[in-house]
Parts: sequence; structure tokens; C-alpha cells
Amino acid sequence: MKNKVLKKGDKAHLSDLKIGQRAKVLGLHLDKPELRRHLLDMGITKGTEILIKKVAPMGDPVDIELRGYELCIRKEEMKNIDIEVL
Amino acid sequence: MKIALVGNQNSGKTTLFNLLTGTNQKIGNWPGVTIERKVGRIKDLGDDLVDLPGIYSLSPYTIEEEISRNFVLDGKPDLIINIVDATSIERSLYLTTQLMELDTKVIIALNMADRLEAKGICIDTEKLSKEIGTDVVKISALKETGIEELKSIIRRNKNAQVKSKEIFKSSLENEILKVRNELKVNRFMAIKILENDKLYQKYQIAIVKNSRQKLEETYKMDIEEIIANLRYDYIVEIKNKSAKMKSVKESMSDKLDKIFLNKFIAFPIFIAIMFLVYYLSVGVVGSFTVDWVAGIVENFGLLVEQGLTNLGASNWSTSLVVDGIIAGVGAVLGFVPQLTILFLCISILETTGYMSRVTFLLDKLFKKFGLSGETLVPFIVGLGCSVPAIMSTRIIKDNKERDLSIMLTPFIPCSAKLPIIAMFTGYFFADNSGLVSASLYFFAIAIILLSAIIIKKLFMKNSGTAFISELPEYKLPSVKYVARDVFDKVKEFIKRAGTIILFCSVTIWFLLSFSWKLEYGIEVEDSILASIGNTISWIFYPMLGTFSWEAAVSAIQGLVAKEQVISSMSIIAGFAEEIEEGSMLFKSAAFKFFTPISAYAFMVFNLFSAPCFGAIGAMKRELGSTKKMLKAIAFQTALAWILASLVFNVGTFMSSF
Ligand SMILES: Nc1nc2c(ncn2[C@@H]2O[C@H](COP(=O)(O)OP(=O)(O)OP(=O)(O)O)[C@@H](O)[C@H]2O)c(=O)[nH]1
Repeated sequence: MKNKVLKKGDKAHLSDLKIGQRAKVLGLHLDKPELRRHLLDMGITKGTEILIKKVAPMGDPVDIELRGYELCIRKEEMKNIDIEVL
Repeated sequence: MKIALVGNQNSGKTTLFNLLTGTNQKIGNWPGVTIERKVGRIKDLGDDLVDLPGIYSLSPYTIEEEISRNFVLDGKPDLIINIVDATSIERSLYLTTQLMELDTKVIIALNMADRLEAKGICIDTEKLSKEIGTDVVKISALKETGIEELKSIIRRNKNAQVKSKEIFKSSLENEILKVRNELKVNRFMAIKILENDKLYQKYQIAIVKNSRQKLEETYKMDIEEIIANLRYDYIVEIKNKSAKMKSVKESMSDKLDKIFLNKFIAFPIFIAIMFLVYYLSVGVVGSFTVDWVAGIVENFGLLVEQGLTNLGASNWSTSLVVDGIIAGVGAVLGFVPQLTILFLCISILETTGYMSRVTFLLDKLFKKFGLSGETLVPFIVGLGCSVPAIMSTRIIKDNKERDLSIMLTPFIPCSAKLPIIAMFTGYFFADNSGLVSASLYFFAIAIILLSAIIIKKLFMKNSGTAFISELPEYKLPSVKYVARDVFDKVKEFIKRAGTIILFCSVTIWFLLSFSWKLEYGIEVEDSILASIGNTISWIFYPMLGTFSWEAAVSAIQGLVAKEQVISSMSIIAGFAEEIEEGSMLFKSAAFKFFTPISAYAFMVFNLFSAPCFGAIGAMKRELGSTKKMLKAIAFQTALAWILASLVFNVGTFMSSF
């Protein structure tokens, strides 16, 4: 998926998005159950809209906007979140 | 009545707690400041209020969240005040819906009401209250609005009865009802049992498993996801009915982040800010206030000496007061100005929200060395004092990583080390004292990173935690809070000077004035302290280039409190001969051997060696065993010795060219 510019309707991982892009969550695939639970609790559920808002100077972590608030999360976890580009 | 204050991290719980109880607990604009529960009494109501660590859900993710959950479940509060950040109700009400499943009355305090307008949010509290089924009140803990109304709601709800409300789709509600009827449990437990929560393993009977299976088949998701989804669906529904959001232009925080998180200048800004902190507290303001205060202490000493002699006091009692107490305690008090500035800087950095940016900024760098962004929180708190910093490691989820941070946190130069740094740099690096002090801070960070990667590589394979945290908005610090915070910390420092340092000064004076045979009026070299020091001075030879019992005994006293090193040195200097005029400590016979290089080496030793007893105690508590604690301080002290010796020898070698 590298270097490819994602268009509306493309299916990808949250980590593939660029700053300013929006996407809808399709599902979470995390190995650690508590971590998955925590992300669900934080509102990353199926259908949730996410905006990539800020990226740290070194490229990681990323600040995303969802449900009217901002959350910092690492690329590593973002790789395990399936999305559809909006 | 016992009231629990429950809410998300950074929602303003502690601010409200302070306001209601009239105390000044620590607040900070980053998630996870409250790590222990605190109890206070609400003014004019007389009820006990318990401030709990912030949580996002009743399924705990870290230890501190577990503390909150356990209190809510087992502590039997009579009432819960759920503090909700009104600017992000969607996420916040998630916890609310869970709290309302318990059998305790929940009052919702919509905090940060003062910021709603700027964020283009309009909330109809009456509607929300009707929809969600409990009392809702808009407040601002910062601007102190809505507090009286909150209090009257509390008054009204003493002994209130509650009935939990069904909020999910009927397909799920039916199964919840089945579980409730079968197991005779409340709504909260029924849901947790359905979710297969660890807390209620023994309830996993066939009926429960059937229900779960049925739901998972219908929704094609696992049960946790189903419940989380439906909960959020419900919240979005009531939110749409009771709140309106206007999209606003770029917020102030976003604008500021364009600067503070800018790809190119973010790091230079961070470094500049840390330099500024040390420059302000040690550099500029530092040296001239110290000289001024030292002058006062000295003149005061002379005055007291004269007074006592006039009163006919004996030689030894005059010496105890002047050479012991005034010299020892006065030396430490001379640094109050610098500490005040340091505390002020820290308090401002903490409350504005910049500290959260530091975590965001450095996470990747720290991760390269095997530490996560969360470990930065203790390293930042550690600028003030290691004890709360060590406690704040509780936000770190991975146990090994947590142990590692506990061990490395004391390396950060805490405020009690500032007097040592200020005194040495002020004399040896006069014009660059701010720069040299800041260099010690960055040296500490470098050593922390190096130690982390070495320890990780050697002893801990495959560990690591996820970094999930909120990025709070920038806020103007509250002058009232900052003033009180700084005042409290300075007061604490002065109190220590009047107790521990005073006690040690008397002890040191005694050990310096008497020989083993308890003779008074001896040469210093024959004193008890000198003989103790002489047996250990070899340890410090490699970093000082000379055998100095004076420096050796002083460094050891850092165990009591780091500033005691200065106190001890100043007393010893007073006893030593041939003090030139001006009575500068480094001109006395005892310490004139110090060169800039050995001064730096000695500072390095004091910075990295075992922390004070207070911090050692905190390490023991948080590590959970004496053995681990001993290992940690052995590691710290050995490392300190090696680094200090290296600094001295490499420095000496280089300066010989
Ligand atoms: N504008 C505004 N800011 C507030 C209000 N209440 C609290 N704050 C600020 O929000 C930040 C967090 O406040 P705390 O009281 O430390 O929050 P907490 O919920 O105790 O946080 P944790 O201890 O991390 O769980 C601080 O910077 C406060 O000054 C409010 O009503 N309005």
C-alpha cells in the first residue's frame, strides 16, 4: 500500500492515511485483548469516523480526531485498524 | 455521606475536588495526574469526597484505573459525581452509561462549560437530563460557576434511590434480562458477565454462554464489540437530541501545535524551553540572589555570634548556633529564590498542556530506546520531586517497563538537586551557569536512554506497551493555582530546612567539633567526621583527583536529602582554616581543590547516585520488594560512580592538551 495515494472508497489500514484524510472504521484486529477493549472503550468502534489531525515531528505517534475529541495513537496500533477512506 | 468523584482523565476532577474541599491537590494539563485516591471534606456540606484517578471505562486498562473501578464497585459510595468534559461529551458519556448501571445515584457535572461557546457547542442540560435519566448540571471548576447548583443537587440527592435504565436495542436487552433473572444480579454485573469479564468468572454458566453466542451470531461481532457499539449508538442518539455542534475554524490549540509540533522547529523549541528553565532558575536570577541571601545569612550569623557572646554564652554553644545551625540551614535557604523560579516554570509547563506535547514529540525517540511515551510522564514530574514521579509510573501498563522507569526516574535532576547544581555551576561556570546546568539535564536524559536500551537488550525481551493518550488543548494557567502550587512547594522546602536539615546540621556540627574521646576544641582533622570520612574518601578519589573526606561525607548525606550536601559542605567549610575573605565555600581549605572538571564530576555523582530516603521508600513501595529496590540503588550508585570517574578522567585528559 506504500506511496499509493488513497482515494475515497479505498479500503486500507488507518496507518496508511495522510494528514487531513478522513476514514470510517471497518474493524479492529489487535492481538492483545485488553488493548482492543481499550480502543473500543475510547470510541474506535465499527462505523466511527476518524480524521488524521496531527502527526508528530518524527512521524509517530499520530493525533486523530474522533467522536469530538483527539487521541494520540501509534502507527503500530493503527496498522491493526481497518478503514474505508471517506 | 461518602461521595465519589469519577470521570475521564483530564476532565477537571482534581480542580473540582480542590474547589469543593478547599485544598490544593496537584493538577496538570495532561492525562493521568491523579494516581491515588484522595479524600477531603466538602465545605459547608460536611460530606466526604473521594477524588479518584481518571478512567474511561469500568473495564480497567492500567493499575490506576483499577483503583478507581475497585472503589466504585467495592467502596460503596453513597453518591457518584460523574464529572464530564462538556467539550467532548460523546466519549465522556460512555463511562456515564456504565456508572448508571450500578445501584448508586449518579449526578452528572458537565465541566468546562466556559469553553463551550468557543468550541461552538450548545448543550441543553434539561433535555440531556431527561434523556439520560439523572440530574445534569453545567459547571466550570476553573471559573467557579454552577458550583452552588451542584451542591444543592448533592443535598437533594442524599439517600436517593435509583433504578437502572434500559438503553440498548431489545435484542441485547432481552439477553441482559435473562442473565439478571437467572443469576439474580444487578444490571452492571449482568452486562459484565455477558462480556465474560475476569471479575465474574464464576458466573459463566451455560445460559450465559448461550446468550453470548446468540448475540455474537446475530451481530457478527464479538460480545465486547457489540456492547461498545450499542453503547455508543445510544450516546450518539441522546447527544443529537440534546446538543448542537457548530463546526468552528481552526482552534487556538491547532494553531499553536503548528508551531510546537512543527517538523523542523519542535525539537529546537523543546531544547530552548528546557534551557530557559535552567537559565532562569540557575543562571540569571540565580547567582545574584544567592550572593545577596548568603550575605544576609552571614551577617545574621555575625550578629547572632555577637549577641550570644555578649550574653555570655559559652564558646561551644555559640559555635553550635553559628557554625552549625546558621551555616547549615542558611546554606540551604539561600537557594529558595532559585527553587521558587524552578517551581514556577514547572507549574506553568504542567498546566498549559505543553508537557503533553513533549510526550507526543519524544515518543518515537524513546521508543527507539525501548521506552514508551508514557515513561516521559514520570521524567517530567521528576523535575520537581522524585517521589510523586515514581508514583506516577503507575500509568505505565507493562510491568517490566514500569520497573525500569522507577529505576531511571531518580536520574532526572529533582528540585532538591538544584542547590547542588546552582552552587557548583554558579562558582565554577559563572557566566555559563545556566548552560552548564541545562547540560546536566540533557546528560541525564541521554543516560536514561542509554541505560534503558542496555537493560532492555540484556534482560527484557519482547516487552512494550501501546501508547494511547489524549492530547489536551492548551490552556492559560490559572494564576491562583500556580501561585498556591509554588507557594506550597517552597513552603515544603523551607519546612525541610527547619526540620531534617536542621537536625543534620546539629549532628554534623557535633561530629566535627568532637573527637572520638568526646573532647571539644580539637583540630577538625581529629574530629569524628574526619575520621569517618577518611575511611571512605578513597571511593571518591577517581572523580575528585584527591582524597577529600569533606566531599565524601557530604556526598553521602545526599541520602537524607539532596540539599543536605550543600548544608554539610557549608558547615565543614566554616570549620576549615584559612578562609579568605568573602567566606566563599570554594575558597576554604576544605574545598579549594575543586576544579571545574572535578566540580562537574561531583555534580554528576550526586545527580545519578542513590536518591534520598524519601525516594528510596517510594521506589520500594512501587517496585514491590526490598530486593528489587536494593538492586536499583546499587545500579544507580555504581553507574553514578562510573560516570563521575569517567567525566573526571576524560576531562582531565582532554584539558592536558
Ligand atoms: N477551561 C477550563 N479548564 C478547566 C476546568 N476544570 C479544569 N480545567 C483544566 O483542565 C486541566 C485538567 O484538570 P485536572 O483537575 O488536573 O483534571 P483531572 O480530571 O483531575 O485529571 P487527571 O488527574 O489526569 O485524571 C487543568 O489544566 C485544569 O486547569 C474548567 O472548568 N474550565
